[in-house]
Amino acid sequence: MQINISKSGIPIFAIVLLAIVFVFGLFFVGYDQGHIFSIVLGEQAFEDLYIHELTHDMRHAAGFPCH
Amino acid sequence: MRTFVFLIIVLISGAFAGTIHGVVNFVIVEPYLDQAIGIENQNLFASGEEKDTPEFWVEYEGYRVWQKSGQILAGTILGTSIGALFGIIFALSRNSLPGNNDVKKAVVLSGIMWFTLFLIPFLKYPANPPTVGDPETVILRSILYLSFIAISGFGALAFYKLSKKFQNNRKLVVLIGYGVFISVAFFAMPENPDEITAPMDLVNEFRIVSFLGVTSFWVSIGLILGFFWNRLGPHKETTTSYN
Repeated sequence: MQINISKSGIPIFAIVLLAIVFVFGLFFVGYDQGHIFSIVLGEQAFEDLYIHELTHDMRHAAGFPCH
Repeated sequence: MRTFVFLIIVLISGAFAGTIHGVVNFVIVEPYLDQAIGIENQNLFASGEEKDTPEFWVEYEGYRVWQKSGQILAGTILGTSIGALFGIIFALSRNSLPGNNDVKKAVVLSGIMWFTLFLIPFLKYPANPPTVGDPETVILRSILYLSFIAISGFGALAFYKLSKKFQNNRKLVVLIGYGVFISVAFFAMPENPDEITAPMDLVNEFRIVSFLGVTSFWVSIGLILGFFWNRLGPHKETTTSYN
Protein backbone atom coordinates (compact mmCIF):
# COMPACT_ATOMS: atom_id res chain seq x y z
CA MET A 1 0.00 0.00 0.00
CA GLN A 2 1.35 3.46 -0.91
CA ILE A 3 0.30 6.73 0.74
CA ASN A 4 1.06 10.05 -0.99
CA ILE A 5 1.06 13.22 1.11
CA SER A 6 1.10 16.53 -0.79
CA LYS A 7 2.16 19.73 0.94
CA SER A 8 1.46 23.18 -0.50
CA GLY A 9 1.25 25.36 2.65
CA ILE A 10 4.07 27.36 4.24
CA PRO A 11 5.66 25.52 7.17
CA ILE A 12 5.40 27.40 10.46
CA PHE A 13 9.14 27.07 11.08
CA ALA A 14 9.82 28.97 7.81
CA ILE A 15 7.58 31.83 8.94
CA VAL A 16 9.18 31.86 12.40
CA LEU A 17 12.69 31.86 10.89
CA LEU A 18 11.88 34.77 8.57
CA ALA A 19 10.16 36.64 11.42
CA ILE A 20 13.36 36.30 13.49
CA VAL A 21 15.44 37.60 10.55
CA PHE A 22 13.02 40.54 10.22
CA VAL A 23 13.11 41.53 13.90
CA PHE A 24 16.86 41.07 14.30
CA GLY A 25 17.73 43.01 11.11
CA LEU A 26 15.37 45.84 11.97
CA PHE A 27 16.83 46.14 15.48
CA PHE A 28 20.41 45.88 14.21
CA VAL A 29 20.08 48.65 11.65
CA GLY A 30 17.43 50.85 13.21
CA TYR A 31 17.66 50.68 16.97
CA ASP A 32 20.83 49.15 18.44
CA GLN A 33 22.64 51.54 20.77
CA GLY A 34 25.29 49.07 21.93
CA HIS A 35 22.83 46.40 23.13
CA ILE A 36 24.07 43.56 20.88
CA PHE A 37 27.79 44.00 21.58
CA SER A 38 27.08 44.55 25.29
CA ILE A 39 26.47 40.80 25.50
CA VAL A 40 30.24 40.29 25.12
CA LEU A 41 31.72 43.75 25.82
CA GLY A 42 29.51 44.78 28.74
CA GLU A 43 28.89 48.47 29.52
CA GLN A 44 31.75 49.56 27.23
CA ALA A 45 29.58 48.65 24.19
CA PHE A 46 27.19 51.52 25.05
CA GLU A 47 30.16 53.92 24.82
CA ASP A 48 31.73 52.46 21.66
CA LEU A 49 28.46 52.21 19.68
CA TYR A 50 30.14 50.21 16.89
CA ILE A 51 26.88 49.04 15.30
CA HIS A 52 25.24 52.44 15.72
CA GLU A 53 28.12 54.10 13.88
CA LEU A 54 28.24 51.36 11.22
CA THR A 55 24.54 51.77 10.45
CA HIS A 56 24.49 55.54 11.11
CA ASP A 57 24.20 56.68 7.49
CA MET A 58 21.55 54.10 6.59
CA ARG A 59 19.55 55.01 9.71
CA HIS A 60 19.28 58.61 8.58
CA ALA A 61 18.72 57.68 4.93
CA ALA A 62 16.01 55.12 5.73
CA GLY A 63 14.14 57.49 8.04
CA PHE A 64 14.96 55.98 11.45
CA PRO A 65 15.43 58.46 14.29
CA CYS A 66 19.18 58.39 14.97
CA HIS A 67 20.23 61.01 17.50
CA MET B 1 5.76 24.18 -0.81
CA ARG B 2 9.47 23.72 -1.41
CA THR B 3 10.56 25.35 1.82
CA PHE B 4 14.29 25.52 1.19
CA VAL B 5 13.81 27.22 -2.19
CA PHE B 6 11.28 29.60 -0.60
CA LEU B 7 13.67 30.64 2.19
CA ILE B 8 16.64 31.05 -0.15
CA ILE B 9 14.84 33.22 -2.71
CA VAL B 10 13.28 35.39 0.01
CA LEU B 11 16.61 36.00 1.74
CA ILE B 12 18.56 36.54 -1.50
CA SER B 13 15.92 38.89 -2.93
CA GLY B 14 15.96 40.97 0.25
CA ALA B 15 19.75 41.10 0.31
CA PHE B 16 19.92 42.13 -3.38
CA ALA B 17 17.24 44.81 -3.02
CA GLY B 18 18.87 46.08 0.18
CA THR B 19 22.26 46.26 -1.52
CA ILE B 20 20.71 48.30 -4.35
CA HIS B 21 19.21 50.59 -1.67
CA GLY B 22 22.65 50.95 -0.07
CA VAL B 23 24.34 51.74 -3.40
CA VAL B 24 21.65 54.29 -4.34
CA ASN B 25 22.09 55.95 -0.93
CA PHE B 26 25.85 55.91 -1.32
CA VAL B 27 25.54 57.85 -4.56
CA ILE B 28 22.68 60.28 -3.86
CA VAL B 29 22.33 60.56 -0.06
CA GLU B 30 25.96 60.64 1.13
CA PRO B 31 26.69 64.18 -0.20
CA TYR B 32 23.80 65.52 1.93
CA LEU B 33 24.97 63.57 4.97
CA ASP B 34 28.46 65.06 4.58
CA GLN B 35 26.96 68.54 4.27
CA ALA B 36 24.78 68.06 7.37
CA ILE B 37 27.63 66.63 9.43
CA GLY B 38 29.75 69.61 8.34
CA ILE B 39 27.13 71.93 9.88
CA GLU B 40 27.03 69.72 12.98
CA ASN B 41 30.81 70.10 13.35
CA GLN B 42 30.62 73.89 12.96
CA ASN B 43 27.95 73.96 15.69
CA LEU B 44 30.24 71.91 17.97
CA PHE B 45 33.11 74.40 17.39
CA ALA B 46 30.81 77.40 17.94
CA SER B 47 29.45 76.01 21.20
CA GLY B 48 32.94 75.12 22.45
CA GLU B 49 32.09 71.40 22.80
CA GLU B 50 34.90 70.58 20.36
CA LYS B 51 37.97 72.42 19.11
CA ASP B 52 38.88 72.78 15.43
CA THR B 53 42.19 70.95 15.75
CA PRO B 54 44.06 68.42 13.54
CA GLU B 55 43.34 65.77 16.21
CA PHE B 56 39.61 66.40 15.87
CA TRP B 57 39.76 65.92 12.10
CA VAL B 58 41.83 62.73 12.36
CA GLU B 59 39.24 61.25 14.71
CA TYR B 60 36.40 62.58 12.54
CA GLU B 61 37.82 61.03 9.36
CA GLY B 62 38.24 57.72 11.19
CA TYR B 63 34.60 57.34 12.18
CA ARG B 64 33.22 58.93 8.99
CA VAL B 65 34.97 56.23 6.92
CA TRP B 66 33.44 53.60 9.24
CA GLN B 67 29.97 55.21 8.88
CA LYS B 68 30.20 55.52 5.08
CA SER B 69 31.50 52.00 4.61
CA GLY B 70 28.53 50.76 6.62
CA GLN B 71 25.98 52.32 4.27
CA ILE B 72 25.93 49.43 1.80
CA LEU B 73 26.38 46.69 4.43
CA ALA B 74 23.53 48.15 6.50
CA GLY B 75 21.46 48.28 3.30
CA THR B 76 22.04 44.57 2.74
CA ILE B 77 21.12 43.71 6.35
CA LEU B 78 18.04 45.97 6.40
CA GLY B 79 17.01 44.66 2.98
CA THR B 80 17.28 41.05 4.15
CA SER B 81 15.19 41.96 7.19
CA ILE B 82 12.40 43.82 5.35
CA GLY B 83 12.64 41.23 2.54
CA ALA B 84 11.90 38.49 5.11
CA LEU B 85 8.68 40.29 6.08
CA PHE B 86 7.86 40.81 2.39
CA GLY B 87 8.44 37.11 1.70
CA ILE B 88 6.11 36.02 4.53
CA ILE B 89 3.32 38.34 3.36
CA PHE B 90 3.81 37.43 -0.31
CA ALA B 91 3.63 33.71 0.41
CA LEU B 92 0.49 34.14 2.52
CA SER B 93 -1.29 36.53 0.15
CA ARG B 94 -0.07 35.33 -3.27
CA ASN B 95 -3.37 33.70 -4.24
CA SER B 96 -5.29 36.90 -3.46
CA LEU B 97 -2.99 39.31 -5.28
CA PRO B 98 -3.96 40.55 -8.75
CA GLY B 99 -1.77 39.73 -11.74
CA ASN B 100 -1.28 36.77 -14.08
CA ASN B 101 2.33 36.11 -13.04
CA ASP B 102 4.40 36.33 -9.91
CA VAL B 103 6.34 39.42 -10.98
CA LYS B 104 3.10 41.40 -11.29
CA LYS B 105 1.78 40.01 -8.01
CA ALA B 106 5.03 40.83 -6.17
CA VAL B 107 5.15 44.35 -7.63
CA VAL B 108 1.53 44.98 -6.54
CA LEU B 109 2.37 43.83 -3.00
CA SER B 110 5.56 45.90 -2.88
CA GLY B 111 3.50 48.92 -3.97
CA ILE B 112 0.99 48.33 -1.18
CA MET B 113 3.75 47.86 1.41
CA TRP B 114 5.65 50.90 0.09
CA PHE B 115 2.48 52.96 0.55
CA THR B 116 1.43 51.70 3.99
CA LEU B 117 4.79 50.97 5.65
CA PHE B 118 6.87 53.75 4.10
CA LEU B 119 4.99 56.60 2.40
CA ILE B 120 2.31 57.22 5.06
CA PRO B 121 4.78 57.07 7.99
CA PHE B 122 7.24 59.19 5.96
CA LEU B 123 4.62 61.92 5.49
CA LYS B 124 4.06 62.04 9.27
CA TYR B 125 7.65 61.54 10.40
CA PRO B 126 9.94 62.36 7.44
CA ALA B 127 13.62 61.42 7.44
CA ASN B 128 16.00 63.98 8.89
CA PRO B 129 19.72 64.50 8.28
CA PRO B 130 22.27 64.70 11.11
CA THR B 131 22.12 68.06 13.01
CA VAL B 132 18.34 67.62 13.23
CA GLY B 133 17.31 65.67 16.29
CA ASP B 134 17.76 66.06 20.02
CA PRO B 135 19.47 62.99 21.55
CA GLU B 136 17.18 63.39 24.58
CA THR B 137 14.10 62.60 22.47
CA VAL B 138 15.48 59.74 20.37
CA ILE B 139 13.61 57.01 22.29
CA LEU B 140 10.31 58.90 22.05
CA ARG B 141 10.84 59.51 18.32
CA SER B 142 11.75 55.86 17.74
CA ILE B 143 8.59 54.70 19.53
CA LEU B 144 6.42 57.16 17.57
CA TYR B 145 7.91 56.15 14.22
CA LEU B 146 7.69 52.39 14.80
CA SER B 147 4.20 52.69 16.29
CA PHE B 148 2.90 54.62 13.30
CA ILE B 149 4.37 52.07 10.88
CA ALA B 150 2.66 49.29 12.89
CA ILE B 151 -0.65 51.21 13.05
CA SER B 152 -0.58 51.78 9.29
CA GLY B 153 0.41 48.20 8.41
CA PHE B 154 -2.00 46.45 10.79
CA GLY B 155 -4.74 48.94 9.83
CA ALA B 156 -4.38 48.02 6.15
CA LEU B 157 -4.39 44.31 7.03
CA ALA B 158 -7.46 44.66 9.26
CA PHE B 159 -9.48 46.45 6.57
CA TYR B 160 -8.41 43.86 3.99
CA LYS B 161 -9.65 41.07 6.29
CA LEU B 162 -12.84 43.01 7.01
CA SER B 163 -13.52 43.52 3.30
CA LYS B 164 -13.72 39.75 2.80
CA LYS B 165 -17.02 39.79 4.70
CA PHE B 166 -18.59 42.00 2.03
CA GLN B 167 -20.05 40.56 -1.15
CA ASN B 168 -19.54 43.70 -3.27
CA ASN B 169 -17.28 46.76 -3.37
CA ARG B 170 -14.48 45.05 -1.45
CA LYS B 171 -11.76 47.35 -2.78
CA LEU B 172 -13.86 50.39 -1.88
CA VAL B 173 -14.30 49.11 1.68
CA VAL B 174 -10.52 48.74 2.06
CA LEU B 175 -9.72 52.11 0.49
CA ILE B 176 -12.32 54.13 2.39
CA GLY B 177 -11.89 52.23 5.65
CA TYR B 178 -8.10 52.48 5.64
CA GLY B 179 -8.25 56.09 4.40
CA VAL B 180 -10.50 57.23 7.27
CA PHE B 181 -8.62 55.15 9.85
CA ILE B 182 -5.14 56.35 8.88
CA SER B 183 -6.30 59.98 8.57
CA VAL B 184 -7.55 59.89 12.17
CA ALA B 185 -4.32 58.21 13.33
CA PHE B 186 -2.24 60.70 11.32
CA PHE B 187 -3.69 63.69 13.16
CA ALA B 188 -3.99 61.92 16.52
CA MET B 189 -0.32 60.88 16.69
CA PRO B 190 1.99 63.41 18.38
CA GLU B 191 4.27 65.51 16.20
CA ASN B 192 8.04 65.07 16.12
CA PRO B 193 9.02 67.07 19.24
CA ASP B 194 12.30 68.40 17.80
CA GLU B 195 12.68 71.84 16.33
CA ILE B 196 14.50 71.97 12.97
CA THR B 197 17.42 74.37 13.20
CA ALA B 198 19.28 73.23 10.05
CA PRO B 199 18.71 75.06 6.73
CA MET B 200 15.36 73.92 5.30
CA ASP B 201 16.80 73.61 1.77
CA LEU B 202 19.22 70.98 3.03
CA VAL B 203 16.52 69.19 5.05
CA ASN B 204 14.06 69.12 2.12
CA GLU B 205 16.65 67.94 -0.40
CA PHE B 206 17.79 65.27 2.05
CA ARG B 207 14.18 64.08 2.39
CA ILE B 208 13.81 63.84 -1.40
CA VAL B 209 16.93 61.70 -1.85
CA SER B 210 15.99 59.59 1.17
CA PHE B 211 12.55 59.05 -0.40
CA LEU B 212 14.17 57.99 -3.69
CA GLY B 213 16.52 55.59 -1.91
CA VAL B 214 13.78 53.79 0.04
CA THR B 215 11.57 53.70 -3.05
CA SER B 216 14.40 52.03 -4.99
CA PHE B 217 14.31 49.26 -2.38
CA TRP B 218 10.57 48.62 -2.70
CA VAL B 219 10.71 48.61 -6.51
CA SER B 220 13.68 46.21 -6.41
CA ILE B 221 12.23 43.77 -3.88
CA GLY B 222 9.01 43.38 -5.91
CA LEU B 223 10.83 42.81 -9.18
CA ILE B 224 13.55 40.52 -7.81
CA LEU B 225 11.37 38.29 -5.62
CA GLY B 226 8.73 38.12 -8.36
CA PHE B 227 11.36 37.10 -10.92
CA PHE B 228 12.82 34.36 -8.71
CA TRP B 229 9.35 33.12 -7.72
CA ASN B 230 8.30 32.95 -11.37
CA ARG B 231 11.41 31.02 -12.34
CA LEU B 232 11.67 28.63 -9.39
CA GLY B 233 8.05 28.23 -8.24
CA PRO B 234 8.61 27.49 -4.54
CA HIS B 235 4.83 27.26 -4.02
CA LYS B 236 4.57 24.07 -6.06
CA GLU B 237 3.39 21.05 -4.12
CA THR B 238 5.85 18.57 -2.71
CA THR B 239 4.69 14.97 -2.60
CA THR B 240 6.07 12.42 -0.18
CA SER B 241 5.38 8.73 -0.81
CA TYR B 242 5.16 6.15 1.99
CA ASN B 243 5.08 2.40 1.26
